[in-house]
Amino acid sequence: MSDHSHELPFWKKYIFSVDHKVIGIQYTVTALLFLAFGFGLMLVMRYQLAYPNQPLPGVFASVLSEPVVGEVTVNEATGETGKVLTGDGYNAFGAMHGTIMVFLAIVPLAVGGFGNFVLPLQCGAPDMAFPRLNMASYWTYLCGGILMLFGFFVKGGAANSGWTSYPPLSLIATTGQTIWLLGMVILITSSLLGSVNFIVTAVQLRVQGLSFFRLPFFVWAQLVTSFLLLLAFPPLEAAGLLQLMDRVAGTSFFDPGGLIISGVERNSAGGGSPLLWQHLFWFLAHPEVYVLILPGLGIIAEVIANNTRKPLWGYKSLVYSAIFLGFMSFIVWAHHMYLTGMGTTLSTFFQATTMIISVPSVIILTCLVISLWGARIRFNTPMLFALSFLPMFAIGGLTGLPLGLTASDIHLHDTYYVIGHFHYVVAPGTIFAMFAGVYYWYPKASGRMMNEWLGRIHWFGSFVFINAVFMPFFFLGMAGVLRRQFDQTETLHGAAVQGLTVMATWGAIGLALAQIPFVINFFWSMFAGQRVGANPWKATTLEWTAPSPPPHGNFDAVPVVARGPYEYSVPGESEDFSMQATA
Amino acid sequence: MELLAQAADFGTYGKWMPPNLSVRGGAIDQLIEILHYFMAVLFVGWGIFFVYCLVRFRSGKGGSAQYHPVKGKASKYAEVGVAIFEAVLLLGFSMPVWGEYKNDPPPADKRVEVRAIGEQFQWNFHYPGPDGKFGRTNAKFIDNVSNTIGLDPDDPNGKDDIQTIGALHLPVGRPIYVRITSKDVIHSFAIPTMRVKQDAIPGMEVPVWFQIKEGATTANLLKSKSMNEDFDTAKTNWYRVRHLVASKDYADKSGQIILAEGAGIGLSRDAGEKKLKQLREAGIDSINMHPENPLEVICAQLCGNSHFKMKAQLYTYDDAGFEAWKKSTVPEVIEEF
Repeated sequence: MSDHSHELPFWKKYIFSVDHKVIGIQYTVTALLFLAFGFGLMLVMRYQLAYPNQPLPGVFASVLSEPVVGEVTVNEATGETGKVLTGDGYNAFGAMHGTIMVFLAIVPLAVGGFGNFVLPLQCGAPDMAFPRLNMASYWTYLCGGILMLFGFFVKGGAANSGWTSYPPLSLIATTGQTIWLLGMVILITSSLLGSVNFIVTAVQLRVQGLSFFRLPFFVWAQLVTSFLLLLAFPPLEAAGLLQLMDRVAGTSFFDPGGLIISGVERNSAGGGSPLLWQHLFWFLAHPEVYVLILPGLGIIAEVIANNTRKPLWGYKSLVYSAIFLGFMSFIVWAHHMYLTGMGTTLSTFFQATTMIISVPSVIILTCLVISLWGARIRFNTPMLFALSFLPMFAIGGLTGLPLGLTASDIHLHDTYYVIGHFHYVVAPGTIFAMFAGVYYWYPKASGRMMNEWLGRIHWFGSFVFINAVFMPFFFLGMAGVLRRQFDQTETLHGAAVQGLTVMATWGAIGLALAQIPFVINFFWSMFAGQRVGANPWKATTLEWTAPSPPPHGNFDAVPVVARGPYEYSVPGESEDFSMQATA
Repeated sequence: MELLAQAADFGTYGKWMPPNLSVRGGAIDQLIEILHYFMAVLFVGWGIFFVYCLVRFRSGKGGSAQYHPVKGKASKYAEVGVAIFEAVLLLGFSMPVWGEYKNDPPPADKRVEVRAIGEQFQWNFHYPGPDGKFGRTNAKFIDNVSNTIGLDPDDPNGKDDIQTIGALHLPVGRPIYVRITSKDVIHSFAIPTMRVKQDAIPGMEVPVWFQIKEGATTANLLKSKSMNEDFDTAKTNWYRVRHLVASKDYADKSGQIILAEGAGIGLSRDAGEKKLKQLREAGIDSINMHPENPLEVICAQLCGNSHFKMKAQLYTYDDAGFEAWKKSTVPEVIEEF
């Protein structure tokens, strides 16, 4: 199989490739660029939050224009002017930050990037089950992403009704919302193409000897994730099309009718329900939370097993918990909607399921921590990211409790407490897992190691500053400060705790600077990193049997699996790792 | 009343949670407090184990890892313990509070009823007037200045109704029943100090109810010790005090008043910083200030570009004060938001 690759011209090998590894790298690089872009949007918002209505610093002011920013006079005497973010600009940045981070950065990175690159290798497969479908998935994603960004250039700017796009606000929003809906439909299509492929690959393309309970936890996590994508996304795709029809074809799926917009009655048939959208949206968006988390947990499990040099504790508990988590994630969605007027019957059900879903999460975290007992821990860069993931992910999980109970949610709902909670899960959580994964599999993808010291500087800076950004959010939320506020000092309780917001902004600036070593390391190591062989980390799973980087078709000879995924420090063996593939 | 104001101190902003002035808010605060103790215990206990492992099992110590080191069932017990505690929180705390919040409305003859109608970007309030009956409303009667809720002028029940924009007037010590809806997009009726939040959804009318603590009148709050704080003119940021007014006159050495009682430093950064500088230069190190009005109704759901400015002033009265306010039936417009 491998000699086949020499015949391919450049554009077929690296651009329109059907090779899962190239597609995985394409996904990773594209998603990292979107991640940086989403981060940039957030920096502009954070500047406005910390320094309300103060002119933006030159770097931002020079690239932004109407309607995102407006001119203000800075100095009355000299007539000097500056640019400040507008309320509409802030809302557009907020909506697009959420959309980009969730649908264009984290999910494509976690599933499209890592899933694509690692899953077939860990299954011992030569490629994905449907390579052309895989290519179609990436290009559909890229088209959806570019369309999303196009929203910034239409009249009225990008979508500005929040990443949740609640009607009727989204129905009366500017053209950007239509672009958003079209973009979402295309992105969801891409996810569906990808998830089918992952499921078939993990089920059908496992090599001889690789039974389900010999699959690395990473593959399990990806498998459950794919089922979530496959089953949860179609309702949102349908809902997106319905909202599109409401906007362009005059239907009223989400419009109750009789709306008075700025004193004028909106012309519509009416009879729709704004709450229907919320149900359809959260029916996707809660499983989506686990789509964001599970691949990260998969990466963490791999890195921890490898660097503790011992089997994961409770491998089967991890697998069953992941499956249970996936199932439960479909029946908790309305805990996002307690304050829409929900009575006691429904809320009792959703509170109970929400408490139940915390149990498998606790089990997964417990297994990973107990895995440290009796270990011989190697503190390399991937492991530092994986270890710091654990307490921060725990903070993210624990702070879900007060939000999951209706009574405490009354005060905390729609405050910064919510923002703190899910960012701890996704940013110090999943993004740290993604970094662990980049450092861990980089030598497999490139044949070269990333620089260890730059990696450690990157980790330390990120760890300190990401907490400086998000920890203040819990205190802001407690003080009652609401999310999606352009300027919190407009309220009494907000003005009183503005100092915390200033702190979070400086944390974000520090976090941006802390990424510089990573960017340097990522490119520099491609050319100057230390060359390594097939298995630099002395790991056990199948991807480390293939050469680094693996050729087209992956393995020199089809591997045969003889044992479980994490056979480290097996008593009586000469080495402290026993690879899954028999030699 | 003077005595009561001194006795009852309801707290202030910027110190953990906002002051709680609601009779039932305490139960919510208590649940939040218990939850955070529970979370702290779990996190610290688990963190100690985590750090201990990192130190004890670091690779630098040499030796090799153990293949099957953990035999006990401690983790199982911990997990079951967590699940049981969560069940207790759910059944023992959250559900009773929510049940009362949802299922036990105060009887119609005992409560003070008001409708809250959200619109971009203001809160409109509708009181039934002395007859206790709300007049009909219809979109065709809406006038953006004099009749924002579209009260039907031909309905006899509506003749004595009171409308306000951006100002909610309520009595203390009596059940308040607010019927919440919206004219345009989804808003959320939120009063942080009452621990009340409810989405305002067009096409639906959802009630919330609460009761304001005895003595928590606007007049008492303004006089209370904690709402009148000292601010260091050298350290305080302009935004911290932008909505506050001076409790007394502040003059420079020549006797010229720089900051008069009841005046603020200005809402903008320029004005605020200029005033603070002026005070410092006049040798005034500390100023005592209180909110111009201590209670606010806000909007907690993104509703457009001025969402952050959508708020109403909440004024609370004792019974006599409330009756006196009701007698002045002129709809008032507060243009402060």
